[in-house]
Amino acid sequence: MIRLTIDGQEVTVPEGTMIVDAAARLGVDVPVYCYHQALGPLGACRMCLVQVEKMPKLVTGCTTAVTEGMVVHTKGGAVEKGRKGVLEFLLINHPLDCPVCDKGGECYLQDYTFEYGPGRGRFQEPKIQKVKNGPINDLVLIDQERCVLCQRCVRFMGDYVGEEQLLLEGRGVETVVTTVDHQPATSQFTGNVIDLCPVGALLSAPYYHKGRPWNIDRHSTVCPHCPVGCSSLATTRESHIIRLEGRPVPDRDWGWLCDRGRFGYDFGYHADRIADSWVKERATSAAQATRDVAEWMQQTNAQYGPGSIGFVMGGQFTAEEAHLIKKFAHDVAQSDNVAVMRNVRGYLPAALNGTFQDLTEADTVVFVGVDPYEAVPVVHLKLRDRLRHFSQLKVLGVGPRRLTRDTMPGRDYLVASQDEAVFFARALAAAAKDGPGVQTLVDSVRDYVLPVSDADIEAFGQALLDAEHLSLLWDGENAAMAEVLAVLAGLREKPTAVLPTFGPVNWRGYEQAGIDPRYDNVEELLNKTRTGEIRMLVLWGADLTRDLPDRQLAEQALAKADYVVSAQVVPPLDMPYIDALLPVATWGEVEGTYVNMEGRLSIGAAGVQPPGQARPTRTYVANWGRLFRQDFGLDDEWDPFDSAQGDLISRAGNNHGPAQAVPRPGTRDASQEWTIIEGDWVMENGMPSEILEPRETEFVARVSPEDAARLGIGEHGGYVEAQTAGGTVMIGVQADPAIVERTLWIPRGSRHDWAQHLEGLVKLTRPEEVPSV
Amino acid sequence: MKPEWNQWAREFKEQYPGANSALMPLLHRIQAEEGWLSDETIHDVATLFDLPESYVESVASFYSLFFRNQVGKKVVHVCVGLSCALAGSDRLMENLEHRLGIKEGQTTADGEYTLLEAECLAACNQAPVVQVNLRYFEGLDPERPDVLLESSKSPEEEVKP
Ligand code: SF4
Ligand code: SF4
Ligand code: FES
Ligand code: FES
Repeated sequence: MIRLTIDGQEVTVPEGTMIVDAAARLGVDVPVYCYHQALGPLGACRMCLVQVEKMPKLVTGCTTAVTEGMVVHTKGGAVEKGRKGVLEFLLINHPLDCPVCDKGGECYLQDYTFEYGPGRGRFQEPKIQKVKNGPINDLVLIDQERCVLCQRCVRFMGDYVGEEQLLLEGRGVETVVTTVDHQPATSQFTGNVIDLCPVGALLSAPYYHKGRPWNIDRHSTVCPHCPVGCSSLATTRESHIIRLEGRPVPDRDWGWLCDRGRFGYDFGYHADRIADSWVKERATSAAQATRDVAEWMQQTNAQYGPGSIGFVMGGQFTAEEAHLIKKFAHDVAQSDNVAVMRNVRGYLPAALNGTFQDLTEADTVVFVGVDPYEAVPVVHLKLRDRLRHFSQLKVLGVGPRRLTRDTMPGRDYLVASQDEAVFFARALAAAAKDGPGVQTLVDSVRDYVLPVSDADIEAFGQALLDAEHLSLLWDGENAAMAEVLAVLAGLREKPTAVLPTFGPVNWRGYEQAGIDPRYDNVEELLNKTRTGEIRMLVLWGADLTRDLPDRQLAEQALAKADYVVSAQVVPPLDMPYIDALLPVATWGEVEGTYVNMEGRLSIGAAGVQPPGQARPTRTYVANWGRLFRQDFGLDDEWDPFDSAQGDLISRAGNNHGPAQAVPRPGTRDASQEWTIIEGDWVMENGMPSEILEPRETEFVARVSPEDAARLGIGEHGGYVEAQTAGGTVMIGVQADPAIVERTLWIPRGSRHDWAQHLEGLVKLTRPEEVPSV
Repeated sequence: MKPEWNQWAREFKEQYPGANSALMPLLHRIQAEEGWLSDETIHDVATLFDLPESYVESVASFYSLFFRNQVGKKVVHVCVGLSCALAGSDRLMENLEHRLGIKEGQTTADGEYTLLEAECLAACNQAPVVQVNLRYFEGLDPERPDVLLESSKSPEEEVKP
């Protein structure tokens, strides 16, 4: 530890700390542009000049590390003169167009000039003119005249994200920030440069000229688009969310967002948003729909008795709303058939659930079936951060496609989804054959043939055991992995953390509210519906057709139920079966708790009105309670934080019983030439966005580049005919080097109906005639 | 990509400690052959050295003697730095524009001359200064552009950057 004095106050900081950070500890603000803690020092802008005793000249506080006994002055004549000079230079060619700049009022050039700058410049010559509002891509604009050349954006994209899509072009006053070959930047993380840019040079295209600080409100919330639940700030104006910004949390989170989250905030007022109540395919009044549904429930209960109504929670509801549904089901509708919608079969006990801290400490990470870049993008950035600090990070992928990538290099073990658990079990048996539970685990798969050599299997097992701090990301596709992970955690005496990447985004919150989120539960509920034990289905955000892996079960249950009530934000694929479609309030319209993939509770604020007749869950259940003439204690104060430790859910309990054997996967039908695999892809999570349309593609399925060439699919994708057991469908496909040959990858829960119709895929062929898009 | 570029890249990589430092000589070498650096060249060089394309572009665009557009046989860089400006470089530029029939930034139709501005060429005591390819012409009379064009005709000036 180093002791030094800043502005007369003493402070002790770790060795290697820069003066600006030491000053921040004392609450002394040193102005900076180029410096950002996540990116490290650069020394490009000279804004952070401070005076250090015994040094002949002013020094940059962001590149000067503290030394013992150092005496620093951040105020005084010399520093003030230095700052004035730097600002005068920065403003020489600045257009001074603050009155029409989106960052006006949120800009460090304004703030610092006001605080430290000269009142006016002495430069009278004409200013250099550059590009104004040129595109970085469809979502981000650049005003090159306002840029102070701090390079935060360039360094973020290049060094931090690892996708070098921005650069400084030219020299001196002519230097500009632009994109490679002047082509649009395609990274999933481009929007972060808007937050990073200290001035008004990088701007959000959809927010362009939409609001100024005095006519907007900002609400602290979390992104609802994937289980990361990134901390963010929603900007609202006139009951619309018009911007989402990252919200850094000190010492924990840099506040990065992916472009899906940052720009996908408009689903609440998208043209597809359901704003009317529909009963039997006819729009009706909210009161009538509520009454009809209550009547159906009463009728069903009267005729078939308790337990004849099934409730399924999906969507992006808060934990409190899940609690209300559960309570209403039990107290009023007399049913304990309440389940969580699931699109994969796996479940992770809280005891094994790691946190993001486990990513910052890991020396080995394993991706089980999931490529974080696509499924949980900001986790990819968190791992990039780890890689910057720990270049030996070992990255291993296990799944039916390549899961590592250029920006996250590692080793892939290609095994079918159904073989993942077998692969792990055998790896453990090879590396720790006497470990507790290991022999039981492999009991029925000892001789199962895997496409990986014995040496590789053993090396993988050894890597799992040798890791000092092991973190695994798991997509939940192979349910038997839960067993393997429990045994693995028991074997290792070192930290072992699993982060589940599956949804629905708030499933942990629903679990906290007392609803069993396991696949078996929803499966049983639907089986009961299929057999007629449950007569009515209430789907709260759940879309069975889109999400349930067992599509046949979904269809049979929907067809069999006397009544299907569905509360939704946008039209579900279940539509043909629905008797009452209820418009419901969603993220940003209701305040409540979200629990993310690390089991952390956060509050999403309410900032806008739901459109049309859309009402909160609470209003629905309260009205139904009244119609049932039953007061069911809506105001019992359940608080999800009650059972949490700090803001994390409790990891206690879930004691793992004796190990169980990994079931032997069924043999594959050898006549099937193609294998279908599924993966999560945030862009295809079902929530529509007009803003993100330029980023969307019709060609959401993927094949290997070799297959694409054979099928005559061009660079941006194309249509092919898929011959399946149920007939021929036209599907949109593109090439992806991560996919192996004779494999068709489709996004899980795609909004494309054809994606749910590919069972028994026999063959893909080039269509005779390509339909025009 | 020309087949010999591969060879050159290998040679420069051996001579220099890293790809970053071998980049400049390779760009010079290629420009000496091609006359300029096209987008495609930038892309190829990035591939040869396994560097991000953005990095190669940043370097190429930083130096005024790397040409990102096609140029004539003689590139005339008129210094517009402070000393040269005080000594009449704007007038010299006008006269050259008039004499060559082109504007700053353009190339004559016969492909002989390209006329460009340069920032301070570090010979202020001899202002105004013009650089033609690699040779400096100093203490020029802004009203007599012909002197410059005549004297830059000698064969030794054919060296291109
Ligand atoms: S665009 Fe913004 S972030 Fe990028 S260099 Fe310029 S001022 Fe810095
Ligand atoms: S990573 Fe997920 S939670 Fe974070 S911004 Fe992207 S979609 Fe939203
Ligand atoms: S913040 Fe220190 S030089 Fe830019
Ligand atoms: S200003 Fe022309 S050489 Fe310096």
